[in-house]
Amino acid sequence: MVMKKGLFLSLLVLAVAMGLLIGPFAGGVAAKAKEIKIGVIYPLSGAFAAAGRDLRNGAELALDVLNNRYPELGISIAKWEGIPSLKGAKIKLIFADHRGEPGRGADLAKRLIMDEKVVGLMGCYHSSVTKTVSAVAERYGVPMINGSSTSPVLTKRGFKWFWRTTPHDETFTKDLFEFLKGLTEGKVRGLKAVPKEEIKRIAYACENTEWGSSVAKVIEQMAKEYGFDVVKGILYSAKSPDLTTESQALVAAKPDCMLFTSYISDAILFVRTLKSMKASPKVVWGQDAGFEIPDFRATLGKDVHGILTRTVFIPKVVKVKKAAGKINALFKKRYGTDLTGASGRAFVALQTWAHVLNAAGSTDPKAIQKAANELFIPAEELIMPWGGVKFDKTGQNVLGTGLIGQYQAKGGKVELEIVYPFDLATADMVYPFTTWK
Amino acid sequence: MVLADAFIQGILMGFLFALISLGLTIIFGVMDIVNFAHGEFLMLGMYTAYCLSISLGVDPLVTLPLCGAVGALLGLVSYYGLVRYLLRGPMVAQLLGTFGLMLFLRYLAVFLWGIDYRMIKKGLLVGKSLTVGPFHLDMTKVVCALLSLVAFTVVSWIIFKTRVGKALRATSINREAASYMGIKTERMNALAWAMGGITVGIAGGLLANFYYIYPMVGLLFVMIAFATVALGGFGSIKGAFFAGILIGILETVFPIIGHLLKTSIIGPHYKMTIVYLAYFLVVVFRPRGLFGWEQ
Repeated sequence: MVMKKGLFLSLLVLAVAMGLLIGPFAGGVAAKAKEIKIGVIYPLSGAFAAAGRDLRNGAELALDVLNNRYPELGISIAKWEGIPSLKGAKIKLIFADHRGEPGRGADLAKRLIMDEKVVGLMGCYHSSVTKTVSAVAERYGVPMINGSSTSPVLTKRGFKWFWRTTPHDETFTKDLFEFLKGLTEGKVRGLKAVPKEEIKRIAYACENTEWGSSVAKVIEQMAKEYGFDVVKGILYSAKSPDLTTESQALVAAKPDCMLFTSYISDAILFVRTLKSMKASPKVVWGQDAGFEIPDFRATLGKDVHGILTRTVFIPKVVKVKKAAGKINALFKKRYGTDLTGASGRAFVALQTWAHVLNAAGSTDPKAIQKAANELFIPAEELIMPWGGVKFDKTGQNVLGTGLIGQYQAKGGKVELEIVYPFDLATADMVYPFTTWK
Repeated sequence: MVLADAFIQGILMGFLFALISLGLTIIFGVMDIVNFAHGEFLMLGMYTAYCLSISLGVDPLVTLPLCGAVGALLGLVSYYGLVRYLLRGPMVAQLLGTFGLMLFLRYLAVFLWGIDYRMIKKGLLVGKSLTVGPFHLDMTKVVCALLSLVAFTVVSWIIFKTRVGKALRATSINREAASYMGIKTERMNALAWAMGGITVGIAGGLLANFYYIYPMVGLLFVMIAFATVALGGFGSIKGAFFAGILIGILETVFPIIGHLLKTSIIGPHYKMTIVYLAYFLVVVFRPRGLFGWEQ
């Protein structure tokens, strides 16, 4: 009887072990034939839900373009109807909501990898969350393509399973200083050269998580290189109910240029508070994100007239990018707003996933890794005004570039015009900034 | 100069914090219940001001009485529809009950208005500043401070000078004894919720003049309101008033000291740390809060 029980137990253990071994493979084969699961981790609820919605719209539009036929768009994925090298397998996106919390992001990544058996990951917008999620992906050897987190550190960690399509904040901040330099050299459309003394004093306010604090360092460093004086630097909490002190410290430093690295609610609050203090810097610049989400100009209206924001997509680029115009029109028809830097880059991230999978011809992580490292997507495929997508050894796309836009109120409507690069400028720049006086 | 400016801004913010905390402390004082949905009451007050001023085309200030009315209604419905039943359950039910109400109201707002940020763009106070000498003060905050004073005076008067107030205080001190004396404690509870609702509804209506409106906006303020109420002493009206102002001053003056000393060690990123540190110290060394009653 004892023997029998022992035999039964060992058989049971064997069966469970077999099940564990066979399980994943069986799942893998089934997924390969039908659909390829990609886990997408975005901030879909809470304070960042507006950004999350924008990102999700971008990713879902790209998914629709990939899985169905849109030949009129003139880009490859629009003709594919799935991944051609995988017998037309469709991609399925599994969305998860990190609410802007790095710990939660990491848990979701684990869940997506273990339970949903996703082939790869995408996200997460917040650099702080991307940091923890990519660490999980790295541990499990699951490829992750990041579309819109811009902390430079993310691609400096020697990761083997992390690729980033967007340029990072060193590129963007360099753009800003090139722009300011251009301003003193008379290169800006519609303006004569501005004496450097007039814009030399810089103050910045950056939110204090991974993203903002890394930008603060880059600003300090580049200001030195370009010969500007940082008269005040602030790190603050984006979840603060009141930014009076922060605004006051900025105003007290009497800067010529105010630079912000903010998410949406803090960006709105800064503008309102600084306006009530009648702040009068000559240049106001935001590092994308909060300054670029559609809600920013919708809520603040003409109070944003003259504010600059770095971005990667401005609807006006349709003048130079054909694909952008058609895809933007499709996006606007479906969701009611123009593409933004957030939704545009979510589109490109999924598009990159499609190209990587097609080149890999398999959902095997090793094959995907090889394909990503060797990938090249030419400029004409993209909606961004970039040179294409090509990753260096660190996983960073080396062909990405940034734009600087300026909000200009024209007859009741607020438009985002390109002011940098100088050769793409779509309007004369408004200078100096006087909106809050 | 900068310090003086910070001080004034801090006091103004403090009046707002105090006004928001007033309702919370009334409800706690009378019923020993923490209303986790307090921030959502505030948020709904903001939406009320927004929707009414847009749809009726009136100044957001005109909508204040209606914001108060909506707050009162919200308080009463919450009490009669939910809290009354929670009282029969264990302590945990009371905690989780208002927490559930918070989630319900928050996502009701998401359902009704979506996750767009909204802002009132036109109004008597919107975007206006009051310039006194070298100081630029946000008009809304100045009016808010005045109304906060009025609200505290009125509430204190009701509670300490009227018969109803006496009944409220009796209920708060000993519910059973109060009911033996013929006080309808159920009605007193409802009154506390209505008063809490009115004050926070008005606070929301005012806040809407200079703050963005968003379903999750309550969370930002309710944390401070909890700290304020705990700092001042749970249930103490005077405590909420002074603690609110103290927190406002701590929050604005502390980072400016760093600015004046030209050090980045003391900066805005620690401003909430100092507020919660003050709260922590009070809880450790004076658990009943600054003005709380000895148990």
